[in-house]
Amino acid sequence: MRVVIAEDLVLLRDGMARLLTDNGLEVVAAVGDADALRHAVRLESPDIAIVDIRLPPNFRDEGLRAALELRRTAPETAILVVSQYVEHAYAAELLAEAGAGGIGYLLKDRVIDVSDFVDAVRRVAAGGTALDPEVVAQLLGHRGAKRLAELTGREREVLELVAEGRSNAAVAKALVLSVGAVEKHIASIFQKLGLPPSDSDHRRVLAVLAYLGPE
Amino acid sequence: MNRFVAFLRALLFLVVALPIGAATLALLIAGWTATAAMSITPLGVLVLMVFRRAIGLLAAADAALARSLLGIDVRPSPASGGTGYWRRGWAVLTDGGFWRQQVYLVLRMTLGFALAVAELSLIAASLGCLVYPAWYRWSQLRFGPWHVDTLPRSLVLVPLGPVGLAVAVLLTQFFAAFFGRLARALLGGGPPLSLATRRRALAAHASASAIVGLILVLIWALTGRGYVWPEWALLPLALVLSIHGWIELVEERAVLRRARGLAIHAGVAAALVVFLVLIWALTTRGYFWPVWPALGFALTLGIHWAAARSTRLSRRVGVLEQTRAGAVDAQETELRRIERDLHDGAQARLVALGMSLGLAEQKLASDPASAQQLVAEARLGVGEALRELRDLARGIHPPVLSDRGLGAALESLADHSAIPVIVSVRLDERLPDAIETAAYFVAAEALANAAKHSGASRIEIDVRHEAQRLQIAVSDDGTGGADAEGSGLTGLRRRVEALDGTLAVSSPEGGPTNIRAELPCAS
Repeated sequence: MRVVIAEDLVLLRDGMARLLTDNGLEVVAAVGDADALRHAVRLESPDIAIVDIRLPPNFRDEGLRAALELRRTAPETAILVVSQYVEHAYAAELLAEAGAGGIGYLLKDRVIDVSDFVDAVRRVAAGGTALDPEVVAQLLGHRGAKRLAELTGREREVLELVAEGRSNAAVAKALVLSVGAVEKHIASIFQKLGLPPSDSDHRRVLAVLAYLGPE
Repeated sequence: MNRFVAFLRALLFLVVALPIGAATLALLIAGWTATAAMSITPLGVLVLMVFRRAIGLLAAADAALARSLLGIDVRPSPASGGTGYWRRGWAVLTDGGFWRQQVYLVLRMTLGFALAVAELSLIAASLGCLVYPAWYRWSQLRFGPWHVDTLPRSLVLVPLGPVGLAVAVLLTQFFAAFFGRLARALLGGGPPLSLATRRRALAAHASASAIVGLILVLIWALTGRGYVWPEWALLPLALVLSIHGWIELVEERAVLRRARGLAIHAGVAAALVVFLVLIWALTTRGYFWPVWPALGFALTLGIHWAAARSTRLSRRVGVLEQTRAGAVDAQETELRRIERDLHDGAQARLVALGMSLGLAEQKLASDPASAQQLVAEARLGVGEALRELRDLARGIHPPVLSDRGLGAALESLADHSAIPVIVSVRLDERLPDAIETAAYFVAAEALANAAKHSGASRIEIDVRHEAQRLQIAVSDDGTGGADAEGSGLTGLRRRVEALDGTLAVSSPEGGPTNIRAELPCAS
């Protein structure tokens, strides 16, 4: 699996490259700004690009803009945006830009849990979704509270993990349930919320997010 | 007996209208004439203030009479003040109490005067009837052909006496009560005139002037149609109306309001010059004498402009010194808070982390299981430290504010709030960073306060950008009692004032709490 990293802090860039290499991924380029990222993606056509939101020269949202642009110019490359902070507005912008490749948006903190992080990278590179639990918490917070009132506590837990982009098997593992039980819960959630059932994890996330997004 | 005393008191109150009315007439004529005449010069303000004081005294005297004679609790509203010479003059003109006192005194002068005369006449006539038999011989009273010249005939008039007196008593008490209520309504104070009232007053003034003008022109047209004499009434009417209109215009235009005294002075001077030129045009058209008063106006305007400029500058310097000191203070406090948070939060966590890792290193060879446990703990500690640092950075300056603007930043703030927040933002453009940041922190501090103290179940944030001012209002349905002098709100006030803005906090015990900031953002 071929990876391009765009991160301006050398310490983090090298650390992340080492972490991914140690876990069997191939880091084909590690760059420090948005222009170099565009160039590297064009040159290498990687499976996934891991992009920091803040990049030189202005350290605002150059990384996010570059990522949105890559969704259009290189749709086959999956994008994982990482940042020191998460805002669900950014998540909405990323998800709105449809592409063939997977999409992810995570706090940089998540690298601490190495296996979880590598799992998320692989999932996104394979066309899946990874949404930070903080974003999901913002969405399921008081905004969603009213609309989710009908769900049971267990169903809420399942919904959180589904919104993060996890597969049924991963949800089952996290909650110590059988896959069959998880499938039942998901069917019940989608029925209560009036959402069309969907096999694809990615489309499932989109449906949930569209449901919870601002009216 | 008591009723008789009450009647005498009421009667006295009504009769006092005679001297009060005379004094009012003299005062109104003298006051307004002197003010109008002196308003050519800056002394007009002084005259106006003296006049206002005199009206206030007269009203206070009448109110004291109403209190002692009728037992009505009425105290005239005190004159509203202002700082600065022109402002004080302006405060007199916009003082609702001043105008209400004049209306009251005019009613007392006209209606009150007439009633007093009628009342006294009725009483005199009734008493006369009562004792008519004693003096009918000297009287020349006749009702048509019916001459009261015999004793029996004079006796017929006697019963009219008590009837007249009874009517007089009833009327006296009725009218005294009426004036008492009038005094309480008009002298009892109240807020300054609202903009709507003033607009109505201007409309009434304009229509009254138009009607008077029309009537005069009609009279002229129906009579000789010779020399156009109504122009001598129309000119002063137009002059007074134009000055009134100009004053209202100054009040409504923000640009003019900034130099209100000067704007009014210039407007009045211009109107007077036009007036004089018209008079010159209507009369001799010989030697152009209006040039002299015009020069005088120009001179006083120049002096006024220079004086206003220097006072404006020195006042501005005073405000800037104060707000700069406040801003520096607020910044100091903020830096101290950040320093404390870093030391007690992230730094302490890193120390603990280092200890865990050090221990793990020691145990790595001897006890791998507990070393692994320590490393896992350290990893959790890192997560906590990162969360704290993120919150700290967010509290200093949220990235989404500079990236996506005030609206998105407030939405994000609402997402992080424990209490449901409704955000409505009406903003067409990005505003200067300092303005957006200040507005953001007004909302952030208000939300933090509400979460800590109010027990609110719902918060509303309303942001709008109108007439080059950004308004942000945060209201909750909590129990109120927020301390406007507390450190958080004081810091906020300094932040807002450093940008020439204002912050108003209203939080009565029992709620609700409203925090409103206005920030000028001239583009």
